[in-house]
Amino acid sequence: MKATRREFVQWAVASGITLGVSRIGAGQAAATPPGFTARETLPGRGKWTPELGRIDGVAKATGAKLYASDFRAADLPGWPSETSHALLVRCADATHIYEGFDLARLSKIARPAVVVTADDVKHAKIRVPAFYEGDLFCPAGKTPTYLGQPVALLIFEKFDAFDQARLALRDGQFLRFGKETGPVEGSNYGAFRFTRVAGPTPDDPDVYSPMQAGWISPGFLESSGRPIWKPLPVAKGGDYVKGATFGEEIRKGLASKDAGLLVLDREFETQSVDPMFLEPECGLAWYDTSSQKLETVLGVQSPFETTESLAFLLGEASPGFKPKVIDAQFAYVGGGFGGRDHTPFPLYVTLAGMFYPGHAVRLAHDRFQQFQGGIKRHAFKMRSKIGIDRTTGKITAFAADHVLDGGGMMNYSPSVATVGATGALGIYDVPKVDVTTVAMHTRGVTAGSMRGYGTLQTMTALETLIDEVACALPMDPIEFRRRNALPPGGRIMTGHAFSVSTRTKEILSKLEKHPIWSRRAAEKRQAKPGFLVGTGVAIATKDYGSGADCSLGRVEISPEGRISIHSDAVEMGNGIGTALVNRVALHLGGRADEVTVAQVDAFDALELVKTGDPFTMAQAAQDEGEKNPRWVPEISSPTSASIGAHVGTQAAAEAARILYRFGLWPAAIALWGIAPNDPRTKQSDEAYWQDDILIMTGLDPLPLKKIAAKAHAMKVVTGVMAHAFSRWAWAQATFAIHGESWTADIDALAVRYGSDGFTRLSRSSVAFPPTDYNRIGVAFSSRCGTLVRVEIERATGKLRIAKAYSALECGQALVPEVVVGQSQGGFAMGVGYALLETLPPFEEGPGNGQWNLGQYRIARGSDLPLHDLEIEVLPPLPKEPPKGMAEVVMIPVVPALLNAIFDATGHRFRSLPVTQTMIKDALA
Amino acid sequence: MKIDWRLLAIVITLTLIGIVRSPAAAADKPAAASDPNTLASPKSFASIADPQKRSIAYFTELSKVLTHQRCVNCHPSGESPRQGDSRRLHQPLVVRGVDGYGRENMRCGTCHTNANFEQGRIPGNPHWHLAPAEMAWEGKTPAEICRQIKDPKRNGNRSLNDLIDHIGKDSLVGWAWNPGYGRKPAPGTQQQAGELVEAWAKSGAACPQ
Amino acid sequence: MTTLALTINGRAYGPIEVRDDLTMNDFLREYLGMTGTKYGCGAAQCLSCAVIVDRPDGTSHTNPTCIVPASSFNGKTIRTIEGHAKNGELTILQKTFIEHFAFQCGYCTPGFLNEGQVLLERLEKSPVAHADLDITIGEALDGHLCRCTGYVKYHEAVRAAVLTEPTRFLKDSAQ
Repeated sequence: MKATRREFVQWAVASGITLGVSRIGAGQAAATPPGFTARETLPGRGKWTPELGRIDGVAKATGAKLYASDFRAADLPGWPSETSHALLVRCADATHIYEGFDLARLSKIARPAVVVTADDVKHAKIRVPAFYEGDLFCPAGKTPTYLGQPVALLIFEKFDAFDQARLALRDGQFLRFGKETGPVEGSNYGAFRFTRVAGPTPDDPDVYSPMQAGWISPGFLESSGRPIWKPLPVAKGGDYVKGATFGEEIRKGLASKDAGLLVLDREFETQSVDPMFLEPECGLAWYDTSSQKLETVLGVQSPFETTESLAFLLGEASPGFKPKVIDAQFAYVGGGFGGRDHTPFPLYVTLAGMFYPGHAVRLAHDRFQQFQGGIKRHAFKMRSKIGIDRTTGKITAFAADHVLDGGGMMNYSPSVATVGATGALGIYDVPKVDVTTVAMHTRGVTAGSMRGYGTLQTMTALETLIDEVACALPMDPIEFRRRNALPPGGRIMTGHAFSVSTRTKEILSKLEKHPIWSRRAAEKRQAKPGFLVGTGVAIATKDYGSGADCSLGRVEISPEGRISIHSDAVEMGNGIGTALVNRVALHLGGRADEVTVAQVDAFDALELVKTGDPFTMAQAAQDEGEKNPRWVPEISSPTSASIGAHVGTQAAAEAARILYRFGLWPAAIALWGIAPNDPRTKQSDEAYWQDDILIMTGLDPLPLKKIAAKAHAMKVVTGVMAHAFSRWAWAQATFAIHGESWTADIDALAVRYGSDGFTRLSRSSVAFPPTDYNRIGVAFSSRCGTLVRVEIERATGKLRIAKAYSALECGQALVPEVVVGQSQGGFAMGVGYALLETLPPFEEGPGNGQWNLGQYRIARGSDLPLHDLEIEVLPPLPKEPPKGMAEVVMIPVVPALLNAIFDATGHRFRSLPVTQTMIKDALA
Repeated sequence: MKIDWRLLAIVITLTLIGIVRSPAAAADKPAAASDPNTLASPKSFASIADPQKRSIAYFTELSKVLTHQRCVNCHPSGESPRQGDSRRLHQPLVVRGVDGYGRENMRCGTCHTNANFEQGRIPGNPHWHLAPAEMAWEGKTPAEICRQIKDPKRNGNRSLNDLIDHIGKDSLVGWAWNPGYGRKPAPGTQQQAGELVEAWAKSGAACPQ
Repeated sequence: MTTLALTINGRAYGPIEVRDDLTMNDFLREYLGMTGTKYGCGAAQCLSCAVIVDRPDGTSHTNPTCIVPASSFNGKTIRTIEGHAKNGELTILQKTFIEHFAFQCGYCTPGFLNEGQVLLERLEKSPVAHADLDITIGEALDGHLCRCTGYVKYHEAVRAAVLTEPTRFLKDSAQ
């Protein structure tokens, strides 16, 4: 559902800009400061690093320059020595005509060297990438589209001037507004209906499903922009009428007065929240007029998308605004949680650089501005109806309507709406489903990607509803879940089955046997006087992957046996660098000491091309594209959607496999003196690594160093670069390597022999997943269940989480400590979302520029059961690959807390967050 | 006695309402009391003949200051101060500590320097600290605060004269009228508040019921 | 303008004239390029910007830098995250932070490391009972915000640092 992207290489050639060609490499002379890439390559060749820990551990524990916010021009070889500073002026009004600003206010203090407004951008012929459609700056004479919309960029030569100006301008009186117009109306960002009617038995095909019929959208009521869900004649095409007719039938069934059917009809509301990553967005840009090269330093989750967007932004610009070369460099990220995936911030950093040529310009949000301008989580209003056969205790039908507040720009709104809707059934098996969803435009701050991505909202509504159903039947809540759990191979709402393990029942058994659950009645009875005790349970499933996920990986070994890895995946705390090291070590024995992440320009040898949007592409276009052996549906994708382990490490892992098989293995054979016709030459899978020693029964153990030296001497494969693509299944291709046929889950490959350069190998055949897999919605998913016990003080409503337990499955954990750490972090973020965090909409909300962490409370240590939080990660199934888990661990925490609060107080809260005051009032 | 007191309270209340709503109100008349941002001067209460009622009227006017967030935030009912015009709990969480200046690892003066620091939007004063627990005003009515403020056990062992100085001249109290960016100042001026305390103290320091 | 001279990580800086409205955070990050000390909220609410101030009496405390004037540090001695390791040798706490996977994105780490270090030094002077260790760590770290980790591993890492030499930090280490 992403905005259409233009063809990458074709465009770059057409516009005459070369992207990301130069690197300030690790090979800098010792006298100059280390270059950007050298600083970002960890742990660093020859540097001491503890046996345990992350590859970025030492750098992060010693304050090394690592994040985009750490760099100034003076830190970058070749850059100007001074850094200039830009101030992005945002408006706190979206209901009056913006009339301009008065720079005279700065007369006594610093004046900016350059002012950039909507007019300047227009004159320079700057184009806005489709994903960020709208005015980059609100032009004078127009009402701002949303609160926090930028109106100007002020660039100051010196820090002191900037620092004084930001103090002088912060009171909101700088901008002039005229006539009241009310908010700017806009049509909604997308409306979809997911309807499925199962066949009479699970073995029968569905009567109707989105997988069969395609995804459907209704027509719109023109006056309000709200969709009409009834199958009225204005609908777009006949497809909608067919699906909607099944949907209305399901709703009729839920409205019938059948005494054997328990029907609950409930509303639930969730709030807007901020990802609140600790490092506010920032970046550096320098346009060198003599070489006409633009260099940037940024920290985003989507480096490739950013690079493309910058190239589009300037691609048709007037002379002086169109660089010949853009070198976008991407740093370690101080937290992302989705909020740095497809953010418009890099566009403004780039403009700051282009409009002050010859100067290195830094643009950085302070926290007030990050609240005002950063991507938010969508607030949802939901109404859900569920029908349960009282005799069997089985869910017979489910219908829901979701309305999302998308804020001022579309961003990921349509995608969040569909992911939320298709996840609205959680782990359950329901034969009749009808879910509508619409993402609305409002004047609020733009909502986009954030951990949980719509399903946090819909599954919270669902899991609290399920708890209520279990109470109403009555039936034990875990037994009810077990009875209704989707079995392996069962179809979800879109009409497709998960293609990975579904271990729901194992998780439910874990929850059931845990003392928090088995002791729940006793603990309630033994509550201290004046306190209420309650226990809650919830379980969630969360997709990982987006349906067009890419991986770029490059693995090399030096004659000394040192391993280096390059990847396009972004390190934002997720431990991707360490996961890469561990996954590559499975094949190569040694731990890499040079890992460079967030690189999109280390893979030029693959010469990849693409033609269009992988999400909306027709099968014929894919069939045509794949004829070119360099063609792939997409080149690089954001580090988001919990894909780090599964996708982010895939290309490097496959590259390492090839490096072993066609480099280290032939070298080992030679060292062992095994003749070419000896059957043991074919037994590369029989050998194994013990640390960096290769063991083969009956032969001398070989140290990696010795093998590597031999491989280089023999000029066999010593470096491999690969690309992988997943659309709910890996693309698979066959290559001829060293005269042997090699088939793997990659679609592009280049190899290096000895110390030569990389050579691209054309695939001899390829199978891309069919384009109609885009209808699946989700095929990869992990499970997590949570138990919490809360203690509530009756008089004050103060809640304490006494104990908590989460059980999850994620296939093979590449870095088990990071998996546990992410689970603990997900728990904390869940607690914040359930009990603490909230951003009111519109003028009172973050768009007014006055929000900071004083009003916006995230969980701190004392809000959490630090010594009573147990995480259990199920061991992987045999040969199970890694699965994504960073989002699923947050989701059940929220409904489990609400269910525990009900158990304690007898009150069901149907909006978030549930604050102390709300609990106190409910108990009064 | 019981009945008398209650009647008196009703009379006072009615009187005050009458004064507040008086159409004859001018700038220095108690009518200004309806404006939460200003303080009426003591002489504007001269028309109240009954000294006790007048004393109560002084205090009622003063209570606009005493119940204002600038004062209450640091006279909290619990162990932690409140913050901002919304009176949210202070973030990061700090506590009074044994001397009112915070716990050993988080002293008030660590962040609150000698004066407001506008770049950081942070208030400051050389004596920045929390009022002792017995001087908590948060959640209390003017009548309760009045009785408390007269009680040496709950006012820092101050005489009525000391109170005139404390409210009228103390530099930390004075900060309430110069709170810096993003914070609403206490109503009127510190001098006006001091005059009201003085007038109240000298008229018998009567308390509203 | 005010004259500022101070000692950072054992090295003298200044005297230098600084604006009265310059924050200590900007002094470190923009003037000195010492970006190990982070900017997180600019309001002393996340404490990722906290540095260690060493008092003349030998005690130390952490101090946020984003909301205080640089000039208020005149004559002071401070330590930042860049100054903990000596000659490439990491401190106990840096090692336990790494070995316990205490941080993820690492942006709040400077504040936690400084706070943890001050706690260790305080415990060395006035040890607590083993039974009070968790609550002592909890109180010391509670002002610091982290969005990635849920704090558990930070606490584990500080605890582990204390327990590497229990006789140094605890009253009843024999137990």
